[in-house]
Amino acid sequence: MLIQQTINGLALGAVYALIALGYTMVYGILQLINFAHGEVYMLGAYLAIIVLGALTAIGLPEVSMILTLVITIAVAMLFCGAYGAMIERVAYRPLRNAPKLAPLISAVGMSILLQNFIMLAQGKDYKNWPPMLSAEGLTVAGARVSAVELLILFTSVILMVALQVFVSRSRLGKAMRATSQDMTMAGLVGVNVNQVISVTFIIGSSLAAVAGVLVTLYYGVVHFFMGYTAGLKAFTAAVLGGIGSIPGAMAGGFLLGLIENFGASYISSAYKDAFTFLVLIITLILRPAGLFGQRSIDKV
Amino acid sequence: MKRFLQSAITLFGAMFLIVASGCTSSDKNSIRIGAAGPMTGDQSKMGIDLRNAVELAAAEWNEKGGVLGKKIEVIAGDDQADPKQAVSIANKYVNQKVAGVVGHWNSSCSIPASEYYNKANIVMISPASTNPRLTQQGFRNVFRVCGTDDQQGGVAAAFVLNTLKPKRVAVIHDKSTYGQGLADYFKKSVESKVEVVYYDGIIQRDADYKAVLTTIKEKKPDAYFFGGVYPEAARLVRQAKEVGLTAPMITGDGVYDPTFIKIAGSAAEGTYVTFGKDTAGLSTAKQFNERYTAKYGEPGPYSIYAYDAANILLSSIRDTGTTDGAKLADHISKTAFKGAFGEISFDKNGDVTVAPYVVWKVQNGKFVEAH
Repeated sequence: MLIQQTINGLALGAVYALIALGYTMVYGILQLINFAHGEVYMLGAYLAIIVLGALTAIGLPEVSMILTLVITIAVAMLFCGAYGAMIERVAYRPLRNAPKLAPLISAVGMSILLQNFIMLAQGKDYKNWPPMLSAEGLTVAGARVSAVELLILFTSVILMVALQVFVSRSRLGKAMRATSQDMTMAGLVGVNVNQVISVTFIIGSSLAAVAGVLVTLYYGVVHFFMGYTAGLKAFTAAVLGGIGSIPGAMAGGFLLGLIENFGASYISSAYKDAFTFLVLIITLILRPAGLFGQRSIDKV
Repeated sequence: MKRFLQSAITLFGAMFLIVASGCTSSDKNSIRIGAAGPMTGDQSKMGIDLRNAVELAAAEWNEKGGVLGKKIEVIAGDDQADPKQAVSIANKYVNQKVAGVVGHWNSSCSIPASEYYNKANIVMISPASTNPRLTQQGFRNVFRVCGTDDQQGGVAAAFVLNTLKPKRVAVIHDKSTYGQGLADYFKKSVESKVEVVYYDGIIQRDADYKAVLTTIKEKKPDAYFFGGVYPEAARLVRQAKEVGLTAPMITGDGVYDPTFIKIAGSAAEGTYVTFGKDTAGLSTAKQFNERYTAKYGEPGPYSIYAYDAANILLSSIRDTGTTDGAKLADHISKTAFKGAFGEISFDKNGDVTVAPYVVWKVQNGKFVEAH
């Protein structure tokens, strides 16, 4: 039971962590909480249904399941990355030198816009996707790990390692870190700040897209409002880990998934969401910088 | 003083104009009835099924020349399955002076809305709200054409005890008036004979129920009961399969809809659902099905109930010759109606005198009566 709940919690937490990375990266550079980020995740989930539908129509899943999943994830990352870059270009860049509250409100507006856009374009009802991968998977010490759960853990760990390597080793990653330390100075020493910010949004949004695809495969239910709760929870994960810190977002995501699952199973499932926000409040009171953060959090 | 009078007259004149225009904007020669339920959101199918059925009934009356020489106009009200929205719809209906309301769908909406209809002396007939409290408020103008959750919970419990014969059961609900009420009646009916190993609520609209399902699995129940509606039920059975919980789910009329099977896929197989008796054999029901299908496609589980509710309301207006709520309520409570669903008469609370719940089972992607 303990092991099973840990696996459930890690799978859920991996999804939170992937979304939380987008929050934390954008905050690290712009000190902006991108409230439209949850909607990008929702877009990723819708894209999964659309792409999977198209691929199933041509019969690809029967030929190669792995290829189907790779194409779906790639297309969702591409589209959501473009959405992320567009959101930054349209809603945040014009307000870069405005008071901090202005881009924040712009972010909330963007979130409402995207939600309503999807509601009008795709309808208000739940969209469903039948289970594609077998419900049976491995049995580890009496606990079941389904194929989808393995996929979620595997994909998210790979992406997180890749991101960590990219940020710490690559030239662009270095530019990213420089920009997050001091945007003006980075610009003065020749870093193309606008490009760095665009790349940050593209990476964050494509990670959210992957989370969206994985959740569609996991639960099979997609709804235009799903980005709201998931966004809030991922934001909590980012704060728990220390907003602005990439390893913090990863740890925060997994930790939150575990807290939710243990709370729901050992205390009461009726208060599952309450545990998340209790964590948010406790973190903000006792350790506002989060587990891995150094800077203090600006008031939102 | 003169100026004051002048401005007062102008003001009154302006007000009169506004009031008058408000009156003329709608047809004076029509009788308005409300059709209220969730028409957007995840339970939207139920509200739309309800509205279609009421519109079908109204269209049939209008073809025959309407009621009391007036056309019938259906005003749809979308309560989004939200009690707050339901109250605002109720207020709208009161202001529009509807002759009666068919609705609402959710018990959590019907109960607060019924207070407003009662105050405004408007007849309300719910086709689907099964929580017993709705008709226990002492409101003479509130009726329902479906059964109640104590009856339903009793039927489910009897079936579980006599047919499934479990030793241990788990009970969960969606924390709504309907879901929790039904789960509590079920629990009360089985408690003395089997061990209830788990009882808790779950969050509506949540995507992940694995934590609670894993906990339930650990308690090794032979069956589990869910009080709630189909979107949650579908996610529950689907995830139950994934965590390896093999005990069957027993649930109520809120899950009786093909959408449940569509979302859950093969995981829905073997789920037991309490619902009204099969109407396939009734000629009146067949007629209704044909007409409804021609106009809107396949009827939903509660379409026929809404259709009967609308007909009860309209035939009572015809028979009493008035749209006065008190007189209509009096007539409805005393009369035996011939509905598409069979004979319907009401007891002193406004509940149907016969509520035949039976147990259905999902088999090969369809609901079939379980024996």
